[in-house]
Amino acid sequence: MKLEVRGVKIILSGKEILKDVEIKVNTGELVALLGPNGSGKSTLLRTIFGILKPSGGVVLLDGKNLSLEDKAKVLGYLPQETPDVGLSVIDLVVLGRVLTRSKIRPNSKDIEAAIKALKSVNMHGYEDRRFRELSGGEKQKVLLARLFAQTPKMMLLDEPTAHLDISSQIEIMDLIKRKVREGCSAIVAIHDINLAATYADKIIMIKDGKVIEAGSPREVLTPKTIKDVYNIDVIVKNHGRYLYILPIHRRDDKKFRIHIICGGGSGRNLIYNLSNKFNISIGVVNALDSDWEAAIETQCEIIDEVPFSEISEESFSRNIKAIENSDLVILANLTIGKGNIKNLLAAKRAAELKKLLVIDSTPFDERNFAGKVAKEIFNDVKRNSIVIKKEEEVGNVIRRLLDRR
Amino acid sequence: MRKLILALIILNVLSVFLGLSIGSAINPAESLYGLVHGKETIKSLILNYRLPRTLTAMLVGASLSIAGCTMQAFFRNPLADPYILGVSSGASVGAALAILLGIATTYNLIFMAFITSIATATLVYKLGKSAIIGESYGILLAGIAVASFLSGLTAILIYMAGESMHKVVFWILGSFSNSKWEKFLFSAPISCICIAYILINSWKLNAILLGDEHAISVGLNVSRFRKRLVTVISLLTSSAVAISGVIGFVGIIIPHTMRLIVGESHQRLLITTLFLGSAFMPIVDIIARSSISGELPIGALTALIGAPFFVYLLRRGV
Repeated sequence: MKLEVRGVKIILSGKEILKDVEIKVNTGELVALLGPNGSGKSTLLRTIFGILKPSGGVVLLDGKNLSLEDKAKVLGYLPQETPDVGLSVIDLVVLGRVLTRSKIRPNSKDIEAAIKALKSVNMHGYEDRRFRELSGGEKQKVLLARLFAQTPKMMLLDEPTAHLDISSQIEIMDLIKRKVREGCSAIVAIHDINLAATYADKIIMIKDGKVIEAGSPREVLTPKTIKDVYNIDVIVKNHGRYLYILPIHRRDDKKFRIHIICGGGSGRNLIYNLSNKFNISIGVVNALDSDWEAAIETQCEIIDEVPFSEISEESFSRNIKAIENSDLVILANLTIGKGNIKNLLAAKRAAELKKLLVIDSTPFDERNFAGKVAKEIFNDVKRNSIVIKKEEEVGNVIRRLLDRR
Repeated sequence: MRKLILALIILNVLSVFLGLSIGSAINPAESLYGLVHGKETIKSLILNYRLPRTLTAMLVGASLSIAGCTMQAFFRNPLADPYILGVSSGASVGAALAILLGIATTYNLIFMAFITSIATATLVYKLGKSAIIGESYGILLAGIAVASFLSGLTAILIYMAGESMHKVVFWILGSFSNSKWEKFLFSAPISCICIAYILINSWKLNAILLGDEHAISVGLNVSRFRKRLVTVISLLTSSAVAISGVIGFVGIIIPHTMRLIVGESHQRLLITTLFLGSAFMPIVDIIARSSISGELPIGALTALIGAPFFVYLLRRGV
């Protein structure tokens, strides 16, 4: 079933909840409706089902503007609130058919359909249990069975995974997806962006009653859109053919700039620990090395070099520039070889500027593969900087520095 | 389920038999003997006095139980009873007025009580429906407000009634002592139609239990059904109150007893509630009229007998 929402406007107690909403859903599409609390997701679903009458615009199903009673025959709407009711499971599921079909009481076909629906959500054998006594996940599956028994052509689901544990969330989404594969369309209002990214064919982002973006997960789920809608910083990563969204902590003190000279994983922990508080840059590291990945993940500034190659003059001078612009430079406990000896020279510059902190946990000889020259530079560097043995002490040093400021 | 219904039917037959045979005038053995041998006085006593009285008690018991059960679904509140719409206080004002004005013939009393109770229910519904806090709460609170106002009014009417004060009080406490065929015949058609409507729509009541949005989503026109339901419940309760006075507690205890036994699905709950209500009331009436110190008010007895039994059920958990 095709749905078209054209310029729909909803005003409730004088407040405009939906503003000229336009959406389209095609047959066999699973559409996730994303947006912060109060953005209008539930209102939109209610309007599509016909519980709310728009004060402007129109909702068309296969091109037709249906009455509420006719809609119940083709649309399956699952409100967000789970009913607190002691009806037996089978009676509740049969309700999905009685009023739209036999009107007064269910016939044997209705009962058969209800049992089939219960089987399809793996709840066969629960027929005589009282709904109130089921677990949250079981209740949601029974409600889905009620919806399936109604044989809808399109489902409108208002946060079907709210308050459920992770395995139930996945089970519910799998059931919905399976129904969609059978040719039913679905609009699912949801809070979990990752769940939406995994299951939806299409994502509609709404905020303040307006559609901000609509399209495939890849088109819609960008750090920019998510920042616009939810006001949080995220990283969008690829995970197989799916997307994976990771929120980043907000930085408290963006003004304090720390540059970390690292590589080969020596700066990883520092990057994770410091990036949520300070403005971090790193360099020079080879692309795809684990420090580089950590910096990408936490969205730090990176001065990088092509994998497995020596630090170029250009990168070196960029590194020096970053050092000059920083308030503090940390020389991580990194291994020095021919390829990255320029990092030691850069550290020397930082030492001259009296802003170098050296982490010297492994004896230098054990991590030096660049010979005497490197050893001399390192000793020189150490003389003009703060030296600590344990990485964990970095926090204390920074605190003292900040206090002095 | 079949066994349960059969047991309830047997209970009904038993209560009819007891209702016809026990009383202050003649004992069961005399009743049976008199009926079999065609003794005119006994026949007339049973046919003109005990039969309408027993049938009225059955009708009122069934009506109040069904009305209570439906109210509990309507409000999704286990404490809802048939009198939430202010029907009882409305009827009391009507009855008190009729007695005070000295026009309290059987028909006038029924008519006045019926009209005032319907008018009260309409008022409560109208006031509650437009409340800013939502329909359900609105009706509950409007019911409390209107009922308190009318109770005050009734108290003043009782005070003004002077010598006939006891008549008003006796009416309010509820009784089947003046049951006549006329009363039964007034109430029976209204009650039967209303009960039939509710029984036919038992699945819609199940839908209402889920909450309005779920009910709409399974295809119920909730606002239309609620309107019809309020009308039917007010008619049903008013017709019972008009012929028997205010009999409390039945509308809560009978449906809840059956809910504990058969669960919340109305297609089982309503029919069993109906039979238990219709069997319970004549039995209470027998106790009321068997008291040595004259007839006891039936409303007081329903509470005295019903409450401990209900607590027993609650603790046992069925």
